[in-house]
Amino acid sequence: MSMIELLEGPLWKVSVGVFVVFGVWRLFVIVTTGRSPAKAKPVGSPGRGAVRAIFGHFLPRRAFLGQGRVWFVTIAGYAFHLGLFALLFFAAPHVAFIRDHILGVEWPALPRWGFIVAAQFAFAGLIALWVRRFVDPVVRLISRPDDHIAAGLTFFVMLTGCMALGEQSVTLRAIHLGFVEAWLIYFPFSSLMHTFTWPLSRGFTGALAGRRGTRM
Amino acid sequence: MGRESILRDRVLGCFKKLNGFVPGATNAIGIFAVTARLVRVASVFLLATVVILAANAQQGQAQGTALPLPYEAGPENTLGDQSDSDIWRAIRQGAEGLPSSSEVTNGVLINAEGVWWSELRRPEGPLIWYGAVGLSAILSAVLLFFVIRGRLRIEGGLSGRSIPRFSLAQRVVHWVMAGLFLLLGVTGLLLLFGRPFLIPLIGKTAFGIFATASMQAHNLFGPLFAVSLVALFFTFVRGNLPSLSDLGWVVRGGGMFGAHASAGRYNAGEKAWFWTATLAGIALSVSGIIMSFPNTLGTYDLLHRAELLHAIAAFIFIGFGIGHIYLGTIGTEGTIDGMVTGDVDENWARTHHDLWLKDMQAKDSKADA
Repeated sequence: MSMIELLEGPLWKVSVGVFVVFGVWRLFVIVTTGRSPAKAKPVGSPGRGAVRAIFGHFLPRRAFLGQGRVWFVTIAGYAFHLGLFALLFFAAPHVAFIRDHILGVEWPALPRWGFIVAAQFAFAGLIALWVRRFVDPVVRLISRPDDHIAAGLTFFVMLTGCMALGEQSVTLRAIHLGFVEAWLIYFPFSSLMHTFTWPLSRGFTGALAGRRGTRM
Repeated sequence: MGRESILRDRVLGCFKKLNGFVPGATNAIGIFAVTARLVRVASVFLLATVVILAANAQQGQAQGTALPLPYEAGPENTLGDQSDSDIWRAIRQGAEGLPSSSEVTNGVLINAEGVWWSELRRPEGPLIWYGAVGLSAILSAVLLFFVIRGRLRIEGGLSGRSIPRFSLAQRVVHWVMAGLFLLLGVTGLLLLFGRPFLIPLIGKTAFGIFATASMQAHNLFGPLFAVSLVALFFTFVRGNLPSLSDLGWVVRGGGMFGAHASAGRYNAGEKAWFWTATLAGIALSVSGIIMSFPNTLGTYDLLHRAELLHAIAAFIFIGFGIGHIYLGTIGTEGTIDGMVTGDVDENWARTHHDLWLKDMQAKDSKADA
């Protein structure tokens, strides 16, 4: 069995299995753990607080609109996440891979120029945010090795993917697939899980605030 | 009387003469009449075939079939009064024709305008040679300087008091640009020097993989470099304009050989690096954009000039960059702190940027007052 056959066959199944099983397990634990019930009389609506927090935090709070660093994080964050989303689900090789190996169906893919633009935004956002982890004293202090490993793996997944864009080399495709599988295995045990947990954490904190009659 | 009738009468006369010598020859007259009709019909077919072929030949020319040679056929086993070498020389010198391939520009089969670039760019050519020698010389000079002079120490050692030097925006922009510089530098050098230096080491197949990957990454990160360059310029231009104190700094050799050299926020060396990076970066960005759209130019000459400019600007940028990386890290004690934490030690500032330190302290005193 060649390396690419191994990566596209057994290793792919193992990495997806780890990603799904442990990802679902972690979400299950988060949802079912709960916390001790609040004894104070509710002042406001927890549900309204949760919804407000989930959707209201897509934009910076009004009090911070004048700060450049807030806009930097917001713009870089959107550039990275939207760019990565477009690459992940609409890059032509990914659409073909999802059709052949996962879902059996396909949808319209980005043209090449669209791929390039999405990749530019994703890389610009990721590099800027990762650099900030090193040079912003506050963010540096709260950053753990996990944050750097997660950012580094994501960066190398994207970099090797773009390097394989020519689709001329099996070796480049194998390197990209290898990084993707490492990323999938690391995903459920890391801060990358915020992909799925952000509505839970926002909603939970928002519900607490709403119950107390405050906003967050 | 037509020519055909005359011919028929002559042939009939021959047959009548033959009748006297060959029994049954008169029967041949009927055979002749049939044969003549057949010949006539065949002639019409032949004529029609020739007309159709001629029409096809003209159509073929319009679609790009080679033109007939402009000379009479020569003796047997020759191609006429021009030899192969004459034909290829004419093509080589830009003779035009009707191309059947879309790859051939303006009907010119071989465009000799790019020969100078091929000569310059070939693995043994001057661009590779001088580029390799230049970069090696810079690396050697830096290494030699480190061996002779050692690390430039802070006069009086660390004071323990820090001065804010670079803002968060400046540090982010600097390190984003540094990352792009490394990515683009490595992939660019691999593309330029790969054939002469890497193929003998790793073989053509492995180099092909490296080259493909490098080209994709280089093309992808190029536009980000151009955007970062603009950000770098606007975040660092303040303090990088030339001043009279720069002359004193240059005369004292930047304090690298013992004598103290006064400097403001940035010294003359840093200003030289800033403006070199800006100009070389503009050259790299503009030539890179031209190289990204080779088919829209209409001429390969501009493309080759852009490639040459790109290579020269890259050598300058990388050459200065090597010196900058050395002085910013192991070459000078305490320098990298300013770009990581944003703060520098007070004695570091007094050693390398005493005029700037005085300004900062004066501002602090005024603020306190």
